[in-house]
Amino acid sequence: MFLENYGFLIVAIVQQALLGMSLWYPLMAGQLSLASIGFYSMGGYIAAIMGTSPAFAAWREALGPALYPVEWLIALAASALLGLAVGIPALRLRGIYLALATIAFVQVLNVVVLVLDVTGGAVGLFGIPQPFESRLGYLWFFGPLLAVMLIFSARLTRTVAGRSFMAIREDELAAQAMGIPTTFEKVRAFVIGCGLAGVVGAMSAPFLNTWNARQSSFDASVACLAYVLIGGARSVWGPLLGAALLVALPEVLRPLKDARLIMNGIVLVVACIYLPQGIAGLLASLRRREVA
Amino acid sequence: MNIVFLLQSFINGLSIGSVYAIFALGYTLVFSILGIINFAHGAVFTLGAYCTYALAVGDFGLNGLLAGMSLPFRLPFPLALLGGSLLAGGIGVLVERLAFRPLRAKGADPLLALVSSLGVALILVNCLQFLVGAEIYAFPSGIFGSLPMAMVFKMDGKVLAVRTVQIIILVVSLAMLLALAWFMNRTRMGKALQATAENPETASLLGIHVDRYILSTFFISGALGGLSGTLIGASFGLAGPYFGVSYGLKGLAVIVLGGLGSIPGAVLGGLVIGLGEAFLPPDYSSMKEAVAFVMLFVILLARPQGLLGRQTIQKV
Repeated sequence: MFLENYGFLIVAIVQQALLGMSLWYPLMAGQLSLASIGFYSMGGYIAAIMGTSPAFAAWREALGPALYPVEWLIALAASALLGLAVGIPALRLRGIYLALATIAFVQVLNVVVLVLDVTGGAVGLFGIPQPFESRLGYLWFFGPLLAVMLIFSARLTRTVAGRSFMAIREDELAAQAMGIPTTFEKVRAFVIGCGLAGVVGAMSAPFLNTWNARQSSFDASVACLAYVLIGGARSVWGPLLGAALLVALPEVLRPLKDARLIMNGIVLVVACIYLPQGIAGLLASLRRREVA
Repeated sequence: MNIVFLLQSFINGLSIGSVYAIFALGYTLVFSILGIINFAHGAVFTLGAYCTYALAVGDFGLNGLLAGMSLPFRLPFPLALLGGSLLAGGIGVLVERLAFRPLRAKGADPLLALVSSLGVALILVNCLQFLVGAEIYAFPSGIFGSLPMAMVFKMDGKVLAVRTVQIIILVVSLAMLLALAWFMNRTRMGKALQATAENPETASLLGIHVDRYILSTFFISGALGGLSGTLIGASFGLAGPYFGVSYGLKGLAVIVLGGLGSIPGAVLGGLVIGLGEAFLPPDYSSMKEAVAFVMLFVILLARPQGLLGRQTIQKV
């Protein structure tokens, strides 16, 4: 009963946590990029087009359920390549300039999507084939991906690449002086995020059943950033904790009706003021206090 | 291509570009003092337009909590414009107190200020939706009194139509730009603001009340935002509480194009983007929303400091 009612919510939390994580990797290297949502949108369109367009009917026939992993791989490859193409020039920019460039990239992508025929214009694509009867079934898509990404992130913080990311975050010039190829590492962190966002998009199109330009609105970008910062940008658990709080909150506050979005805003402001290290930072400091 | 099309596009572009410029100035003033982009500026833009609407029309529409209520008076448009802008200035001050001051007091990461300003924007926009509903409001046509709707010129047998609201926009924006330039360069307060922007610590050592000037900056920024919101609203109608979001993003493109923190840059950026949109050939009009962002992307790659920005040299 609980799982029936809350299946959508649980899957949405995992899905949004993964999106938050796609933004977490560049942030780990000190790069504030809001491009993730654009790659998410593109991955979703790849899956939606392959799932609905007559041009791919033969593929769907031949592959059967194996179509989904093929979509993920294509979305991964396309996002990583586009990420590379955008990242190499864009990552010369620092701080807020990079954030603005990535916002611009997503806005241009949105206009392109609205103008093209293959993406269904403003209406978008719908009737995307759904592999599972119940909402909860989609955990078979998102759950393993989240587990893999969490393990990957936790391992990453102990590898040369991960340590280089963190060195760049702390002080880019010093990192460069230490012989870290900063541009290469920044692009690497960015491309990991792009690829992940693309795969999450390809998994989300069947889950949501419809795909349109609203998937990559500015609000959605902001939500991703908020998951990471409120969850805790320095912990691998941050995106998951933040997504759990911010996705569940409007549901919990449903009795408040229209006022619940106001509450969302209040939570953002209060969390910024009182939880500068995010929920993960709060938990860590509580644990430290217990030990002492 | 003919001369009438070019002239018409030029007037359209100048008019819309000058509103982009005063809207973007609000971002730039705050950025030059705090080094942070105030993402709630788009919400202030929307709220300012709604305040002017309420003052000029006298009621709050048909939906939401305030449905059916009305003000006991109606102001003529120029007074309502002034009133709406001042109220928007007050909202700007509110944004500073809610989103920026508590974080500044703690010396928090600037990234968090960005998120908290987004939070405040969410609060403002949803409160507005709660109060007046989500439907579209149009300023009534009689709002400009007895002025004609448009001026029509005949040239080479083709018609050049200039809407009255475009001329009002152009005049008000230019007057505002000149007033701001005078204020910043000729008055004591403007110079103190510039000093604070240059270096807050030194300014405070010189006896400038930095917190007070930050508050004034937010007031001016909010008033400029509200003014531009009203002008756009009077021209195209108020498209619901989320009306400011796309202008908010476009404003970011404007200030980066001109050079972050540069006042002449914001003006130039606004005009360049306004004219760029207006001169887009009619066949490509569906791409209009992309013009500002393509320009932004290109300028960031070619000249990251913007057209009139100063190159910052990073110290080790």
